[in-house]
Amino acid sequence: MGGLQKKKYERGSATNYITRNKARKKLQLSLPDFRRLCILKGIYPHEPKHKKKVNKGSTAPRTFYLLKDIRFLLHEPIVGKFREYKVFVRKLKKAYGKTEWSSVERLKENKPAYKLDHIIKERYPSFIDALRDIDDALCMCFLFSTFARTGKCHVQTIQLCRRLTVEWMNYVIASRALKKVFISIKGIYYQAEVMGQLITWLVPYQFSHDHPTDVDYRVMATFTEFYTTLLGFINFRLYHSLNLIYPPKLDVKAESELKEENDDDYAMNSESYLEKLSALSASLARVVSTAEEEEAELDQFPVEGEDMANMEAREKEQKQEEAQKKLFEGLKFFLNREVPRESLAFLIRCFGGEVSWDKSVCIGSTYEVTDETITHQIVDRPNIDKQYINRYYIQPQWVYDCVNAKIILPVEDYFLGVTLPPHLSPFVEEKDGDYVPPEKLKIMALQRGEKPAHEQEEEEEEDEEEEEEDDNEEEGDDSEEAEEKNLKKMEEQRSQGKSLSVKVTAGKVKVENPARLEQEEKAEEKRLAIMMMKKKEKYLYDKIMFGKKRKVREANKLAAKRKAHDDAEKSKKKARK
Amino acid sequence: MAPSRRTKRVVASQPGFLNLKSSSGAAGLPSIRRKRVNKNKKKNWNKHSDINDVTEFLEDVRHQERTIGGLLSEKSDDNLFFLDVGQPKKAEQKVAEPVDGKKRKGKAVRPLRIDLILQHDSLVPPPKDVLAYQQPNAKKLRRIAQKAEQLAAKGVVPRRQKQLLNRRPADRTAKKAVTEANNNPDREYYDIWGQECESKDTADPWYLQQTGKKRVKRPEKLNEKPSVLPAVEVIAPGGSYNPDFFSHQALLQEAHEVEVKKQKEEDKIERQLAVNKEHIATEETILREQVEGLVEEETEEANEEEEGVAVGAITVAEKKTERQRKKERAYKVKEQLRQANRYQNDKRQQLFQLRSIKTSIKQEEQETKDKQKQRKAKQEAQKAQPRRLGKLKFKAQDMEVQLSDELAGSLRQLKPEGSVLKDRFKSLQKRNLIEPRERAKFKRRLKLKYVEKRAFREIT
Repeated sequence: MGGLQKKKYERGSATNYITRNKARKKLQLSLPDFRRLCILKGIYPHEPKHKKKVNKGSTAPRTFYLLKDIRFLLHEPIVGKFREYKVFVRKLKKAYGKTEWSSVERLKENKPAYKLDHIIKERYPSFIDALRDIDDALCMCFLFSTFARTGKCHVQTIQLCRRLTVEWMNYVIASRALKKVFISIKGIYYQAEVMGQLITWLVPYQFSHDHPTDVDYRVMATFTEFYTTLLGFINFRLYHSLNLIYPPKLDVKAESELKEENDDDYAMNSESYLEKLSALSASLARVVSTAEEEEAELDQFPVEGEDMANMEAREKEQKQEEAQKKLFEGLKFFLNREVPRESLAFLIRCFGGEVSWDKSVCIGSTYEVTDETITHQIVDRPNIDKQYINRYYIQPQWVYDCVNAKIILPVEDYFLGVTLPPHLSPFVEEKDGDYVPPEKLKIMALQRGEKPAHEQEEEEEEDEEEEEEDDNEEEGDDSEEAEEKNLKKMEEQRSQGKSLSVKVTAGKVKVENPARLEQEEKAEEKRLAIMMMKKKEKYLYDKIMFGKKRKVREANKLAAKRKAHDDAEKSKKKARK
Repeated sequence: MAPSRRTKRVVASQPGFLNLKSSSGAAGLPSIRRKRVNKNKKKNWNKHSDINDVTEFLEDVRHQERTIGGLLSEKSDDNLFFLDVGQPKKAEQKVAEPVDGKKRKGKAVRPLRIDLILQHDSLVPPPKDVLAYQQPNAKKLRRIAQKAEQLAAKGVVPRRQKQLLNRRPADRTAKKAVTEANNNPDREYYDIWGQECESKDTADPWYLQQTGKKRVKRPEKLNEKPSVLPAVEVIAPGGSYNPDFFSHQALLQEAHEVEVKKQKEEDKIERQLAVNKEHIATEETILREQVEGLVEEETEEANEEEEGVAVGAITVAEKKTERQRKKERAYKVKEQLRQANRYQNDKRQQLFQLRSIKTSIKQEEQETKDKQKQRKAKQEAQKAQPRRLGKLKFKAQDMEVQLSDELAGSLRQLKPEGSVLKDRFKSLQKRNLIEPRERAKFKRRLKLKYVEKRAFREIT
């Protein structure tokens, strides 16, 4: 029973945490400096499990840090720099106050500065670690690079962000890494696959900033300071992985092409090279010349435990990916002045197309509107006066939709003045049983290589009643009709609740029999397996199946709704006519 | 007077010497009388010898040298004489004519008298300062220089120069790199994850550790992210600029629900703050309040009576008798016995209830397991939630939604919704990277005092 009396809050969780103010005093830093340090070093506040214990009996809301983290911060050399800076500011103030201009100048020359390189190395010991964390950095840099140069943050920061983002975009173009793009009301989302990592970033629209007041700019600037350093190092590494020169240089050939123009009209001399780079229209110089870089076919080694079918599937996938990378190859685009130039140029160049624009829009245009070899002109206005007969005039959404669909979509839906099909999000992945919008179904069918016309024939065989109905309607717009039929077919299939593949193969006699047999066998096996289930498992299984069915039912309901909606629209149109 | 005579003789003997001051010599000679003085002492030499004629002569020589630049006797006749042909008339006339014009000029050209006085008018050149041309150790230095030349011709570099060459050039650029700001747009990057950097870091661990230059290793735990949420959350498909009808409706529905929830909370607060209807004064209560204390009521008397009863009740307790105590004790013992019996009986009976006990135990275990599972699931869900990191709770930003009539028909007409900056900021808060904060409020140190201006006061 003896022993010393245990005092409260001297062991356990109370000693593992430290409040923000105490931590700040321990480090001898002011609050803004402390905050900056925490952001740079990647040390975040922590919510303790038992707040009252940690807070020594008080329930006042406080910010806590782990004591070990703060102890770790004590070793940071930057802390010393922060203190130096504080002293520097004090001296400078004094010198200003005394109007000693010579000492002001001397002090300014010896302004203490710090480097973040060692922190980057410490936080991201390997390159892949850094690459995984690049999303934030990209978003922030793209955001800051669109800021107006008006005192909200340093102009130099904006310039640096712009440079880094341009470098990044050029890398994505050179490596053809872009996968998805989504135009939302917020900004444009991009997704690229770099070294096996999916990287998503958000680019705000230009000129859309009203600076919100409830955002702490100092915090954001600190994050940006860190992220610019990170992104720069990543860019360097990525460029070297592709044998590109860093900092990026334009290809000699491309540069000579661009040189003809009068550069002085667009930018100051110091900035004109960056502007040319940011035009994205020219390829970059390589350390080794491009002629040698013929891609050798990689030998395939079958991994153990992988059957042939699996490998074939993978190979096919790879081939598809290759094809997607060359989506726009051989096409020549011209951008009208009202379309978002940078985004479109980036996309088109990412998939191997050639792109140009009016000379007065931006530096770096490579050919004129009058060029006869242009295949597509991207226009975003209801009509255009002078039209060339050998090129398509399409709306910008076509480019985005093509990229997402991974194929060249038919241009008919995107002509001038046509109501556009909806722009679907490529980031949604439907599981089986979910509701899939008919537009997506159509694209999926196109991806599989089916043609709307082909389906039309099939439909004719299947049911005549519908056809009659269709006949009654006007057959003015071919594509619209095709779409209509396509939709109906899809919905019908859905309502029958069968998978599509069965129907497609139904026509061929020879193929059908083994497939059918196999399927039957499978079904039989499944039934037996279900019978053999334990009661408990059976219950679970039933539950799962019920859930699936419910999903399908809901999807069907939505599809029916959609149909009703479409019908209503159509009847409205008719009434108008 | 021997020396004077001697000098005179010397002067006289010199052929063709012209004396400038011719009178001095002839007048002095007869007046001087000889004095007999011993000249065996040096002191007397100075005292009694007359050196005037010598000094005069030398004076004269110096004078000639000063004024003419040499002895007069040595000069040739051409230098001394010229043929006087009278003044040329024409020249005089010419000079006379421009007198008016050049008068000023002449005046300006003529030097000041003071300058003329101060001018150096001696024709004897000033003596050369020999020391100025002399060099200390000139010989030695010349020898050293010669030797160095010889060595240089051979190609041998002296040691001192060698040392200088061997010294590393001052690392100016490195110093500049240190002071370069982080946001310099032209800053350079290098391969931070490459081999070279690693080799530089691992100089000598023991040395680094002993000199306190070794970096402290970052704990692994710090590299864990405080939230499982992705850095960039893609907006729902309804947020497309040209959305599919249903996804747009779904997004609208979601936004609507958020709004409804907010509204409900507001309503709740309003309801709680509302004045209770019973507390509102009616006419009756107002009247009663007004006549309070004016009308005597009979309730007071009744109260007094009640008080009397209550006081009496306290003193009821009476002392127990012996018999009562005995009875109570017996009852207590009996009760205890009964309880013990019952307990034993129950235990015995439990033998037959084994089955139900087992089931109940199982049930309990199941319950705890379920609870554990639930707790774990809750914890998992908590990971994706923003934590409470400070005074304020995290407040999600308003959803970005465009109503059906706000949707743009084409990309050109698109009006961006929301702010990406705010989105990023909120995302950082949501992922627990920074604590939610409010902007610091401006605090006025001195109180404001409002005073009406006199002119304004006069009007009102």
